[in-house]
Amino acid sequence: MRYALNKIFHGLLLVLGVTLISFILMVWFGPDQTYSLVGKNATAEQIAEVRHELGYDRSFALRYAGYLKQLFTLDLGSSHSSGEPVNSILARTIPVTLALMVPGFVLGNLLGIALGLLSVQQKGRWTDRLITGFSVSSMSISFLVIIILMQVILSTPYGLNLFPVRGWQVNDPGSYLKYVAVPTLSLIFITLGYNTRFYRAVFAEEAGRDHIRTARAYGASTATILWKHVLKNSLVPIITRFMFSIPLIVVSGSLLIESYFGIPGIGKVTFDAITSGDQPVLKAVVGLTAIAFVLIQVLTDFLYKLVDPRIG
Amino acid sequence: MSFRNRPWQRLRTDKAGLTGLVIVTAFFLLAAAVWAGFLGESWSEAGGGRWESAGAQHWFGTNVLGQDIFLRSVYSVRTAFEIGLVVSVLSTVIGAVLGAAAGWYSNTWVDGTIQWMKGVLDSIPFYLFVAAVAFALQGVYWAMHIAMIATFWTTTGRLVRAEVLKIKSQEFVLAARAIGLPGPLILIRHVLPNTAHILLIQSSMVFVAAIKAEVVLSFLGLGVQDGVSWGLMLAESTQEILAGHFNNFLSASLMLFILLLGFNLLADALQDAFDPRQAAL
Repeated sequence: MRYALNKIFHGLLLVLGVTLISFILMVWFGPDQTYSLVGKNATAEQIAEVRHELGYDRSFALRYAGYLKQLFTLDLGSSHSSGEPVNSILARTIPVTLALMVPGFVLGNLLGIALGLLSVQQKGRWTDRLITGFSVSSMSISFLVIIILMQVILSTPYGLNLFPVRGWQVNDPGSYLKYVAVPTLSLIFITLGYNTRFYRAVFAEEAGRDHIRTARAYGASTATILWKHVLKNSLVPIITRFMFSIPLIVVSGSLLIESYFGIPGIGKVTFDAITSGDQPVLKAVVGLTAIAFVLIQVLTDFLYKLVDPRIG
Repeated sequence: MSFRNRPWQRLRTDKAGLTGLVIVTAFFLLAAAVWAGFLGESWSEAGGGRWESAGAQHWFGTNVLGQDIFLRSVYSVRTAFEIGLVVSVLSTVIGAVLGAAAGWYSNTWVDGTIQWMKGVLDSIPFYLFVAAVAFALQGVYWAMHIAMIATFWTTTGRLVRAEVLKIKSQEFVLAARAIGLPGPLILIRHVLPNTAHILLIQSSMVFVAAIKAEVVLSFLGLGVQDGVSWGLMLAESTQEILAGHFNNFLSASLMLFILLLGFNLLADALQDAFDPRQAAL
């Protein structure tokens, strides 16, 4: 119980920090929004009124408190460029992003685990060297280059020309598969090198421990050792890796992939908000993502306890 | 052979690491030549026709404006090194100072505050953070660098803190304390030098991360604002590959790949040489 309270307190401090940073960067420090909201030839009163609505006449602490209230009551205002409420923008785009990113994210991790296990099993042999070489090379390719290559190879007449070049006209499972294929393959290759390297290191450390050597001495087969002992005992780092990369991959990854392929998810919305200076959208996305990440961290701590009761 | 020299010995026999070192040095010399004004001066001149193919006149062809792609990709080496060096040096310095302070004063408010800062910065997805910084610092040339430095120091800080915690309880530090040397002096003169290998490895990794991030940020319009970089060339190429013009894409991505591979190989070799226990994993 003390453990739980401690974790929650810690999480609250982090939430305060991340909201403070996004408030300072986007509201306090951000560009003055007055003149994008008032019409032409506004009177001094109109300007003062808009400034009052935006809260420019209040103190730092009051405005920060207002921002917190907005985030926690999900009263996020409306987009400056389209006038659509931010809530409805989020409700419309988050499902698209999840449908787009989840397959690649899960497959990238599973493949990384598989290659990591194979590499450790074949340690020092050419399979291991091949896998290690592959992950170093793949870590040296820019994400943008991977995406462009995938697009050229799979969706243009210069390559196989199998899939649509860009866009997202999804209305049934068939069209979903058609549009999700290239982004998914891109995401897998973007993450695979890092994942493989990470999981290989985790498994190699686990495989070097005494109890594994004992199991081997008792004649357990390599497969049993890898599956039953190495994989199971590596659950904590695997969970950490998985949980912690959710917001990074889903938000940061979708920013690049969606703006490249023109897919109407949260990443594209964020990208458009950056280019048009749409502050309500941007501050909602940054604030909520950071809060979500803190929640995930707290949750991960509790998951650890389930997996390994000794942690405390 | 002295104990201290052993890592360098190991490095000298590591073929992949040496290849990396050669690549990085070659690129650095290119960047130096551009800095000195020997190369790439006329990268922005439109001296050719639109989308000329590769030939004797323009080695890698020309882009949509008739600018020479070879000169542009060579000049971009300088841009890459500027970004990589500024970001890796500053983030390493900040990471070293804050990490060492947190480790030395562990379990005090100093440590608590620094750990909290790290936790907060790590909780904001990188590209969103950069977007927020770019939004706040509109028109500021260094916005991208500032955002990268502010996020990249945290890993270095965490590693240095862990190492300082370990070193702090070793005999030579206890001895230094016993003869009454002041804490900060022990930290700077005896503890920090022992984290040098971490700083070296981390700064080469940050270099890689910074150049890779530049490409994505330039594509998103948050990166290099004026001048030319591989990221800008790749962003340009996304407009033309569907029409079958691959020169921009090929030259920028190949140069980028070779430099990143060089740095990655070098970083791995440094890790192997200085931290064999970790590396054996």
